[in-house]
Amino acid sequence: MSSPLLALRQLVKNYGGVRALRGVDFDLHPGEVHALLGENGAGKSTLIKIVTGAHAPDGGTITLAGQPVADLTPASARALGIACIYQQPALFPDLTVAENLALRLDSTTAHTRVDWTARRNRATSLLARIGAAISPDTEVSALSMPEQQLVEIACALGSGARIVIMDEPTASLTQKEQHLLYAVVHDLRKNGVGIIYISHRLEEIFALADRVTVLRDGQSVGTHAVGDINEAGLIRLMVGREVAQIYPAAESAPGATVLSLRGLGCTASGVHDVSFDVRAGEIFGLGGLVGAGRTELARILFGLTPADSGQITLTGETLHLRSPQDAVAHGIAYVPEDRRRHGIVLELPIAQNITMAVHRRLFPTTWLRFGAERALALDYIRDLAVKCAGPDAPGSSLSGGNQQKVALSRWLATRPKLLVLDEPTQGVDIGAKSEIHKIIRRLAEEGLAVILISSDLPEVIGMSDRIGVMAHGTLRAILPGGSDPHTVMAAALGTAA
Amino acid sequence: MSTAAHAPASSNPSRRDWRAFFTRHEMLLLYVLIAEWLFFYFAGTSTNRRGVIVGFGTWDRQFDILRHSCEIGLLALALTPVIITAGIDLSVGSLLGLCAILFGKLWHDGGLAIPVAIGLTLGIGALAGALNAILITALRLPPLIVTLGTYSLFRGLAEAITRGSITYTDFPETFLFIGQERWLGLPTQAWVFLMVALAMGLLVHRTTFGRAFRTIGLAPEGARYAGLPVERRLALVYVLAGLIAAIAAIIYTARLGQAKADAGTGYELFAITAVVLGGTSIFGGKGTIVGTLLGVAAIAVLKNGLACLPVVMRLNAAEEMSGLLTGALLLVALTASVLPKILSNLRPRRHTATQSTPPLSP
Repeated sequence: MSSPLLALRQLVKNYGGVRALRGVDFDLHPGEVHALLGENGAGKSTLIKIVTGAHAPDGGTITLAGQPVADLTPASARALGIACIYQQPALFPDLTVAENLALRLDSTTAHTRVDWTARRNRATSLLARIGAAISPDTEVSALSMPEQQLVEIACALGSGARIVIMDEPTASLTQKEQHLLYAVVHDLRKNGVGIIYISHRLEEIFALADRVTVLRDGQSVGTHAVGDINEAGLIRLMVGREVAQIYPAAESAPGATVLSLRGLGCTASGVHDVSFDVRAGEIFGLGGLVGAGRTELARILFGLTPADSGQITLTGETLHLRSPQDAVAHGIAYVPEDRRRHGIVLELPIAQNITMAVHRRLFPTTWLRFGAERALALDYIRDLAVKCAGPDAPGSSLSGGNQQKVALSRWLATRPKLLVLDEPTQGVDIGAKSEIHKIIRRLAEEGLAVILISSDLPEVIGMSDRIGVMAHGTLRAILPGGSDPHTVMAAALGTAA
Repeated sequence: MSTAAHAPASSNPSRRDWRAFFTRHEMLLLYVLIAEWLFFYFAGTSTNRRGVIVGFGTWDRQFDILRHSCEIGLLALALTPVIITAGIDLSVGSLLGLCAILFGKLWHDGGLAIPVAIGLTLGIGALAGALNAILITALRLPPLIVTLGTYSLFRGLAEAITRGSITYTDFPETFLFIGQERWLGLPTQAWVFLMVALAMGLLVHRTTFGRAFRTIGLAPEGARYAGLPVERRLALVYVLAGLIAAIAAIIYTARLGQAKADAGTGYELFAITAVVLGGTSIFGGKGTIVGTLLGVAAIAVLKNGLACLPVVMRLNAAEEMSGLLTGALLLVALTASVLPKILSNLRPRRHTATQSTPPLSP
């Protein structure tokens, strides 16, 4: 085989204290489709960001067609023939296809006449090359998501890209559109273009790719020709590690059923036919890949996107949750995924953040009682060991883990029956993570029903009494806590391993 | 361990609190106000040929300033919570005009007793505010556009009702007492103004409503995720703005003794200026009623003081000068409020620059 088009050696990238990549090697040959596989947070996105010049690596070398490259920027990466097609196409919706292509491909000099005919002709020929029936005069906003992806691919072709990165390109495509895309991939490969293909659909990887590299915890755990490995082998590589951390174990058996979902669905957010029960004192984990519909389910339970089918029963009472106020009134608490935007208000003091959901109980006359507020805040600061300068310090002064504790305090103060935690330890350092785990287990022991959404596979397996695995907007399996990670991953990928 | 973390934190801020109190925006504005007042007291006061003190330094003039600030002051009070929620209401000035006309019509053409007409007018003001509120909260239209629309709508209605020519006058003495006389030493309407100020101060700073306004202004999504009734709280600030605009309309009519369709034209911009000058962030989440009161006072003193300066009187340019200086004052205040941030941003950047240079030289 020819010398590699792209060679990454010992690539290292740290974000603060988080080691996203720890010495990754990766090769891409001309005319090759090289699949990249890994759990959420394994380092795939970081790798892509480095190759496209969006982020600079902290260590390691990048070699393009035998030439070492340093100081890659998005512009220089594009000039060197690296193009990336993201899941969400980054086109200007109000411009036409031809204009979008021109923006990417033409040099940006002012005061030159725009040659509309040439623009349109080029767009037409590029789109024809990939077999897309799109008029160059269409405004991008009128195109469907897959059509927009095709425009992105045409753009990559037009820029003479030698390396094309496709990040979950088929996630939003129909069967027919997928086949069109596969044909484009074959065509690109015939022209000697190297393709880095990221996908969670294993069958797709076996159909398209020549080789597959699996990333885990920021390290490459093996590169294989697709003929040499099967689905089970891939899943084993992805999951790999032992559940190393010690998770606090349940000491008492769960009690009565608190929450019961039957055929729950919401067309707008793509959730359908979800049925499960959660009992008092139980931690019900929700596993699955990003985009499987777990946060969407949580939003239904919190009244943010009301359900349009199915039934929600909480302690025997059928609920119609139309707004977060409904949910709070019935004793449902939700600690959202996006801590800094939704979990707490960064500019407000810790005390105000903690009391935000209990205004009605703490201030029954609507007059603020600063003493009572402070006392309540101090209780939770002490109880959950929030490290802070005091209840008047703003939320922005806290570390991620302590912000999460404040977000948790806000909802514990409501004395809920059901607590939904969405990625409670995301972006939290190891020490705070295990503290939060202990708090969650303690809350369950005190009789709270907990739904724990987590993309951290060891966490969801280690913490949960039962694990519901979601994929494509619905519940695929309910597995016992401490299940084999391979089984969980297989269910999340939608394969029978 | 936790005590060690607490000890330095609790001793330091107390001293910082003390300094922060005297350097906070409201205090700076108070210094400006005092300086303004002293300047006009010495430069704008004189003794006329008969040996009587005239100009800025007389009680009459001070009461006059107070009397003339009430209407814009009320609108500024109405706008403070609106702006704290990161909203805006451009329609209050037009609504003042519409309410003045409707009040005149109810009394004059409808033959209603003054108290009944006042009550109905306040109700109409609240209803007009509710129109803004519904468009903003139920249809999720941007406040700037909605109130720009009602700004024209309300004024247009006022013009249509009067066909641009009718002016209601000849109000009874008892009604004019509100706008032209004194009660307990102060101009009567000043008492109304102070009561509204007190009520708004309590609402914004001492109740869960004020908390909600602030939270919505800082993070509307965050407020929703905290289970706060975002729509209802937003609706409240616009309804209140309408109600207070109606109060201002009554006072305006009583002060001038006539109700005209062009009453309060341009007042919304003066009111917004006063609110922003008072330290309320146009981006929401930050602002105090005290600041708004000081902002209103600073503008009122400037405007009236200028009219007493001999130079300005000779040029007959009080209006122009006050517009110019109010604008300058606002821009200076805004610059002053962001200056500390810009300066503190500059400093660490210089630090990192010096830190990164040494490795390059050897």
